[in-house]
Amino acid sequence: MTGRLIARPAKWAFLGVLTVLTVIPLLWLLVSAFKTTPELFRSPFGLPAHWSFANFIGALRAQPLVAYFRNSVTVAVVSTVATIAVSTTAAYALRHRFKLRGAINGFLMSGLFVPFTAFMTPIFFLIYHLGLYNTVWGIALVYTGTMLPVGFLIIKGYMETIPEELLEAARIDGASFHRVFLRIVFPLTVPGLATASIFLMISAWNELLFANLLSTSPSAETLQVGIRSFLTSYAANYPEAFAGTVMAMAPTILAYAILSNRVVESMAATGLK
Amino acid sequence: MLQRSVASRGAAREAQTIFKPPWRARARHPAHRLVKIHQLVAYLGPSVVLALAFIVFPLVFVIVMSLTAWAGIGPAKYVGIQNYVYLFHDQAFRSAIYNTLVWAAAGIFVQTPMSLLAALILARRPFMWKFFRTALFVPSVVSTTILALMWYFMLDPNVGLVNGTLKAVGLNSWTHAWLSDPSTAQFSIMVPFVIYIGFGMILFLTQISTIPREIFEAARIDGANVFQQDRYITIPAIRRAIALWVLFLVGYVMKMFEYPFVMTDGGPASTTMNLPLYVYKQMVTADAYGLAMAAGVVTVVLGALLVLVALLGLRWLESR
Repeated sequence: MTGRLIARPAKWAFLGVLTVLTVIPLLWLLVSAFKTTPELFRSPFGLPAHWSFANFIGALRAQPLVAYFRNSVTVAVVSTVATIAVSTTAAYALRHRFKLRGAINGFLMSGLFVPFTAFMTPIFFLIYHLGLYNTVWGIALVYTGTMLPVGFLIIKGYMETIPEELLEAARIDGASFHRVFLRIVFPLTVPGLATASIFLMISAWNELLFANLLSTSPSAETLQVGIRSFLTSYAANYPEAFAGTVMAMAPTILAYAILSNRVVESMAATGLK
Repeated sequence: MLQRSVASRGAAREAQTIFKPPWRARARHPAHRLVKIHQLVAYLGPSVVLALAFIVFPLVFVIVMSLTAWAGIGPAKYVGIQNYVYLFHDQAFRSAIYNTLVWAAAGIFVQTPMSLLAALILARRPFMWKFFRTALFVPSVVSTTILALMWYFMLDPNVGLVNGTLKAVGLNSWTHAWLSDPSTAQFSIMVPFVIYIGFGMILFLTQISTIPREIFEAARIDGANVFQQDRYITIPAIRRAIALWVLFLVGYVMKMFEYPFVMTDGGPASTTMNLPLYVYKQMVTADAYGLAMAAGVVTVVLGALLVLVALLGLRWLESR
């Protein structure tokens, strides 16, 4: 009984404090993005006198946010589609029996334990010599390479749930290797691909290190690289920097609001297999 | 799922009866399971090439070049283990290793238990559990760069909410230049990492929801209280998910770049340096490619060691 008397308030205190710490900074940033500089310095609390979008317009004028946004979308979509294509075909091939099957499987999985940040120099030179430096394609290629192990893991786990008898039946009916893949395995893997692609898309969207390393101009810089300039060139204008930050985080929060169950599912799927 | 399988099987069979080329007749033989080499090349080729380009080539490259002095262009000069000797005498590098371990410890011993506790509480669906679940998960869909930027503003000595709150409640003496004081900087940049528990919590919640309800029902009838149910049913049942989460965290902190890069740039006086940032700085700022590569090799080795320690630790926990 006494345990319960202590546990109840402790439970709510834990949830309450954690939720406040999580939500308040987001709300504070949102409200502050509407303030003027003097208002911000007067007090971090309180509401702005006028809810004007001047800071947002100012931030859009000062930084090519739209270009950053477009680059981020391109990189995320291209790398996700490429990773899915490469992982799906590999996972299918590895359902068959052949000599090096175990070795190749282990080789592809080994990337899960590689801290790719240690490889930034060789990867930089690889992209540079391929002529893809400072292009969205170079960044997308790096993401495809570094996300492959995770994509492969999720998709392979999903593909294993397709019963072998199904493939066997198709083969007995004379379906070829490609046909079994295109007509049976691929369609049945689609729900798993949706899950994987949301996870890959979020990872690609959020990446900073390689995007920063492989770009020098707004023609290739992604949103994560670009918003840092609010820090370096905006020391004097906090509210505009806040407005820029709010605009940068809005797309993923909106996407989450729309797709919330799917996103949660895909996050959880990475740990399922 | 089952219905769909049957439907597609039917469709495949139908397609084959309509068009059944004579040269496919041999496919009935059991040997068809041996895939042809050109099929393997077509399906496995791209992924093997990518893995060679992004795992094998970089690994060989960093090991070989870590033994050289190289400025990125021009010839590299062989210097043996000199780079490694330099690294272990470099205060910034020692700080980088120490802080990487601190990140890992904060993740495993602070963040993970908090995620687990939140999941255990919310799994019982208390009042407003959906609200708490959504609120705690939201930061997981915002990029780390933006979260780091937001906390940089939060901790700003002049306009930040942290000092503002302290002043408002009369704790003026507690206000602080959090990010530029060497004694608080590392702690401060770990705050967002530790309090954003959404990802782990959701993972644990999903796993808990797969445990059959009847088990809890039976335990309740036998007189087990909430703590005993969590301790003897839920936690053992999701052991595997916890283990995978710890492994994931180890990989994550070995790649941790955004918080130190955005919030402090490794400073003040290298007190917030970590391994990825050290490699980055040696390469981009100092043009010391040999050193960057040696630091990269140490990162790979340390990452492998941490994974090994995590695996052994988890095995030890399981054997008890």
